[in-house]
Amino acid sequence: MAREQSITLTVNGREYTRTVTVRTSLADFLRDHLHLTGTHTGCEHGVCGACTVSLNGRSARSCLTLAVQADGGDVVTIEGLRDDEGEWSPVQKAFFENFAVQCGFCTPGFLITAIELLRGNPDPSEEEIREYLSGNICRCSGYQAIIKAVQAAAAAARGQE
Amino acid sequence: MSGLRFVNEKAVGTSVLPDEARPLLDGEARFLNDIAFPGMYHVAFLRSQHAHALLRGVDTSRAKAHPGVIKVLTGRDLHGKVEPFRSMPNRFSGGQSVQDWLAVEKVRFVGEAICAVVAEDRATAEDAIELIEVDYEPLTPVTNPRDGEKDDAPRIHDTCVNNYLIKREYERGDVDAAFASAHLTVRRGFRIGRKQALCLEGRGCVAAFRRDGFELSMWMSHQLPYVVRHYLARHLGMAENQVRVVAPQTGGGFGQKASIYPEEFVCAWLARLLRRPVKWVEDRLENMVASTHAREQDIELELAVDAQGHILALRSNIWVDVGAYSTYLWSAGMEPLQTGGLMPGPYKVPALRYLTRGVATNKTPVGPYRAVGRPSASASLELLLDETAHRLGIDPVEIRRRNLIDQDEMPYRNANNLVHDNVGYVPCLQMALSKAGYDQLRAAQGQAPAGKLRGIGVACFAELTGLGTSTPVGPGTLLQPGRDAVTLRLETTGTLTIAAALPSQGQRIATAMRQVAADELGISMDDISCLTNDTGMAPYGFGTFASRTAVFGSGAVIQAAAEMRRRILALAAFLLDEPVENLTISSSVVHTLDRGKTLSLRDMAEHSFFSAKDIPQDLNQGFEVTSFYDPKHGSFAAGAHVVVVDVDPDTGAVEIVRYVAAEDVGRLINPAVVEGQIIGGIAQGVGEALLEELVYDEQGQPRTVTLADYLVPSALEVPNIELHHANTPSGALGGFKGCGEGSIIGALGGIACAVADALRQRGGDIHDFPASPERVLRGLGVALDDAG
Repeated sequence: MAREQSITLTVNGREYTRTVTVRTSLADFLRDHLHLTGTHTGCEHGVCGACTVSLNGRSARSCLTLAVQADGGDVVTIEGLRDDEGEWSPVQKAFFENFAVQCGFCTPGFLITAIELLRGNPDPSEEEIREYLSGNICRCSGYQAIIKAVQAAAAAARGQE
Repeated sequence: MSGLRFVNEKAVGTSVLPDEARPLLDGEARFLNDIAFPGMYHVAFLRSQHAHALLRGVDTSRAKAHPGVIKVLTGRDLHGKVEPFRSMPNRFSGGQSVQDWLAVEKVRFVGEAICAVVAEDRATAEDAIELIEVDYEPLTPVTNPRDGEKDDAPRIHDTCVNNYLIKREYERGDVDAAFASAHLTVRRGFRIGRKQALCLEGRGCVAAFRRDGFELSMWMSHQLPYVVRHYLARHLGMAENQVRVVAPQTGGGFGQKASIYPEEFVCAWLARLLRRPVKWVEDRLENMVASTHAREQDIELELAVDAQGHILALRSNIWVDVGAYSTYLWSAGMEPLQTGGLMPGPYKVPALRYLTRGVATNKTPVGPYRAVGRPSASASLELLLDETAHRLGIDPVEIRRRNLIDQDEMPYRNANNLVHDNVGYVPCLQMALSKAGYDQLRAAQGQAPAGKLRGIGVACFAELTGLGTSTPVGPGTLLQPGRDAVTLRLETTGTLTIAAALPSQGQRIATAMRQVAADELGISMDDISCLTNDTGMAPYGFGTFASRTAVFGSGAVIQAAAEMRRRILALAAFLLDEPVENLTISSSVVHTLDRGKTLSLRDMAEHSFFSAKDIPQDLNQGFEVTSFYDPKHGSFAAGAHVVVVDVDPDTGAVEIVRYVAAEDVGRLINPAVVEGQIIGGIAQGVGEALLEELVYDEQGQPRTVTLADYLVPSALEVPNIELHHANTPSGALGGFKGCGEGSIIGALGGIACAVADALRQRGGDIHDFPASPERVLRGLGVALDDAG
């Protein structure tokens, strides 16, 4: 049988200790072991970006990250994006209000990536947004509504709504 | 709470924020792979590594012995126990294919399922797949239709002479006479590569079985739950009312999830055999070879025009590489028949001839994908119109103006026997040209950035949407899915439930139907919910495809709402002791026109169900109404796209620098949703025109099985799209048209014409798409090393 290992990590502010086979991806760990099915696997080879989560403050492909690599780490998934009052983050709110979600399968990865972008660059240009999101594939929207949403979220966060 | 983006008295026409999207933003939506049951087994498939081979033997002994493996199933295990997929017959020549769920004697494409392994978890099932040994006897593969139709080509199906799965010749009008008398005839070739819908979520299913009463439940990532139910029952030998199919949250469809495939049927069979729920979820590598492909066409077309550029006749010769099997349900006729039959598009074509073929090859079967057949039909003709205009010395726009079906000519029956009405081709073109500033664009065409070749493309298209029973799904096909139903139910709390078998893959069907129902009934949108995905709850319906769902769902809601409204007002008239004519409904309250008396729907519905003793029976028939809607004919949607590209003649790179689209999609239900559909379609058209191609080698081996090889557009390749509306209401109920597919047609044509226009400035041209850098350079006459 496949080798197993015990890991401890924080996911959406809560600490978990689990035993996993070493070949388990972080995506499968989140989905199958913690039942956090909001993270989606679109290609499982690191191109589409649907599985993107935040790992220790940086966006990461959870399909290419092994769960054991996240041992001791701090993970944020789409389920952890509401604030302490249970309100949507500005990016979630802006995605909703700008019709930036169609089938929604890619949405978790876009939210994580967009939040990371705005944390480092509160006022990105359209070019910068397109560049930053270019590692995430959306097959439905043509990206236009997503870019508008990120711009709106940035404006809201800057208090210009 | 439903927010409104714009304040408007009516819900229809307003960009109502879609409550359906909320769970998707919280990670709480349940897609297929998020469904699990205690004791559920997992299925993985062994797939053919050969394009064409006899199966000499399949040794499953090591896989069966692997710890955690429950069952290994081969084609021989199923043979004779289930009905294989025999393709729909068609009215034209060409043979039918028979597809075993798991290959028995022969494999016909790389990726064809040979064995299924059931295990306690997915990883174990995939491990066990590796332990199965298959003894193949390779056969010579057929990898393109021009070779495949030759008399001495290997035959893929014994039943298909010259490997034709379909062949149709059509003629209307005197084509030869038109060509003989023409001022000018122009001939062109056009080839488009093989595509993939590439839904971000692949296919998958969970099948669960129990004895007696609703025996088989299937959760399936699919666009047509009732159609699946019908075929599951038929092929498993079950009563249809013992089968329930649910389409959970679905991560894209685009036609790829509208066909019947073997894998889900194998899972249903396994669930029945093992009496355990089983799950199969396609991974991306499987999706690239085992879910239907699209397009791959090779077209020769020729136009006869008079001295002013008026079309006299159009003739075409079409080869479609339809892959190894005739796609089940739709048949291999989808692409070949629609490309040939719909090529005239929005243009007056007095005489038409086409010879179109679907030739079987040893590749993945071709099935429906957004705008089936029409992107290549349209783009090939648009490019030919440009060349004809060039030869005549007139502007490309001018030849379109002279040939578009104008408003005062409608209803207009074209040579393909389709009647155009309630559609604005010329208004779309005028809108696109004026918004783009076409004359200025042409005047400034020579001022492209240093070293770049600027090209301008203009494409006009027609898309027949919302097909009723009198119009088949493709020219000459036997399938006429022209009706759908909704059930409206006023719950005893006064809220309204809409049920229909019209699942959404992101099109916000539920929001659209809620908007229509709110307006028709005077019920607040917050009081209306919608179920669209479950045959256990919805009335019978065909499902979501062919730009039909908003038309059918809305039309059926309008019909059902009229009866529901009649019943509500009749009862309220009795309870309020007022004449019916004096009553109306708004904000979920029945009231007299002077608002002197009111009765909330909640009070009325509760009263009618829980304390109905005093209500005459004829006034209390129950507040549940089902209505089937059939628009009889289809509704033409239209568009005109103006595209500006800069081509780098050193690298062959194409950059879209401006994109203007004007569309006629009828009366809008939710403008922001419609814009999302149109812009999303254009984005897929960018991929179709410039990036996406599934490549096979001469042995029939796929070379593009990852997303690093099959390139879909990212946010960097899709330009900002300037979208404008030039809407003409349709003749369907509510004036609605479909909008899901059309824009991809205009995108391929517009971008292709722009690239060709750029190359023409250096005496170049391009006939093969997508317009990869290599093809662009070849189009400019750059000699490339063919070995590279």
